[in-house]
Amino acid sequence: MIEFRGASVVAPDSGAPILLPTTLTLTEQRVTIIGANGSGKSTLARLINGLAVPVEGQVLVDGLDTRKHGSRVRRRVGFLFTDPSSQLIMPTAIEDVMLSLRRTVRSKDERIKAAFQALDDIGLGDKANVSVNSLSGGQRQLLALAGVLSATPSIVVADEPTTLLDLRWKAHVGALLYALPIQLIEVTHDLEAAIKAQRTLVVDEGAVVFDGNPVDAVAHYRDLMYRKSVGERA
Amino acid sequence: MYRPGGSPLHRMPTVAKVGLLLAWAIVAMVFSDPITASGMALAAVMLLISVLPPLKPTLRGMAFIAVLALLAGAYQVYRGEYDSAIDIGADVIGLFAASLAVTSSTPMSELLDLATAAARPFRRIIPPAIPGLMFAIVLRAIPEVATIMRQSRDAARARGVNYSPGAVIIPTASRTVGFAIDLGAALHARGIGDEARADTGAPSAERLTRLPEPTV
Repeated sequence: MIEFRGASVVAPDSGAPILLPTTLTLTEQRVTIIGANGSGKSTLARLINGLAVPVEGQVLVDGLDTRKHGSRVRRRVGFLFTDPSSQLIMPTAIEDVMLSLRRTVRSKDERIKAAFQALDDIGLGDKANVSVNSLSGGQRQLLALAGVLSATPSIVVADEPTTLLDLRWKAHVGALLYALPIQLIEVTHDLEAAIKAQRTLVVDEGAVVFDGNPVDAVAHYRDLMYRKSVGERA
Repeated sequence: MYRPGGSPLHRMPTVAKVGLLLAWAIVAMVFSDPITASGMALAAVMLLISVLPPLKPTLRGMAFIAVLALLAGAYQVYRGEYDSAIDIGADVIGLFAASLAVTSSTPMSELLDLATAAARPFRRIIPPAIPGLMFAIVLRAIPEVATIMRQSRDAARARGVNYSPGAVIIPTASRTVGFAIDLGAALHARGIGDEARADTGAPSAERLTRLPEPTV
């Protein structure tokens, strides 16, 4: 369970608010976060993994404060970035998954076996010894997901994981994410994907302006964007 | 660079390979005669061929180092030191070929494990996982930075400012910093800084990877 208790974030240099005090509890297995660029939705997602920490208030994951128990929170919460290139560190696919396993699997042989299994599970078993630079964008995102899942998190936070992918890979990665048997919090611009969730948050100018049914949330977001574009033209 | 294989170098333990490479470097520095240097360079190239490295990147790397060796040799010829010209040129080529042979026959994770083990005695100063990780990140960053540079050059050409170094260097530098920040965030998100901290019991590793709040 993820709890935001009056959590807010400001820009470190200017002190400008990025996320206004937010209080909500996320228990649903599929939650999507939508909003315009720069609205604060990525910051909201980053708070869950401890990548960002609130200046005020708290974020709790399974009762653990992300500020005090960052390391334990990150073992529970995997994070998938928009651009997998910056998430992959090691030169080959198998080694990158093994890097994720260093924390939890001490035996090298066990680590190799677990990494192969993780790659097989995601459909990249035949790419184990391939350089990450030779993989396509979609394969890289799958590899990043394999790295995240190999650490057996109970929650995955995905920040626009399909934005850089073509339609085929978007559908494939999206389907894999939605088939995960764990909680998924997905930030997305893909409104078709957003409505597949059980709950959707609409973020605008650093605040959650709608929280509820995905279909209603998407309608609210469209209306909001329409009103803003009309306002800008007027 | 690593390519799986069954050559003697592939089968050799990582610590022995790295030890051999260090010994090679010391011998190359101590014996400064052109015959020894040329023999060692030839042996290094044969060793590199024996591990069957990936052809294109190896040829590219060797071509680049051959140009460097030629420049270094040409400078010695200009100074009238013909023996040194051959010695230095052969040493540069030999050491590069020997390094490539080791990296082509050793998985990065094994080099990382070795670097971590080697850094363990200094764990009170630096978390043992950090040196190996830094090495891996440097290798990982090279193709990314090359891609960023190529894209910046293309963008400069498209805008008709292909003769302005600033139009290439400034976007390359700023995007490289962006890549570094993203990489740091990814390390942090994967808990890799946490692992380093657990090794020392010190809070420094988490600070190494902790980033400023993102401006969304």
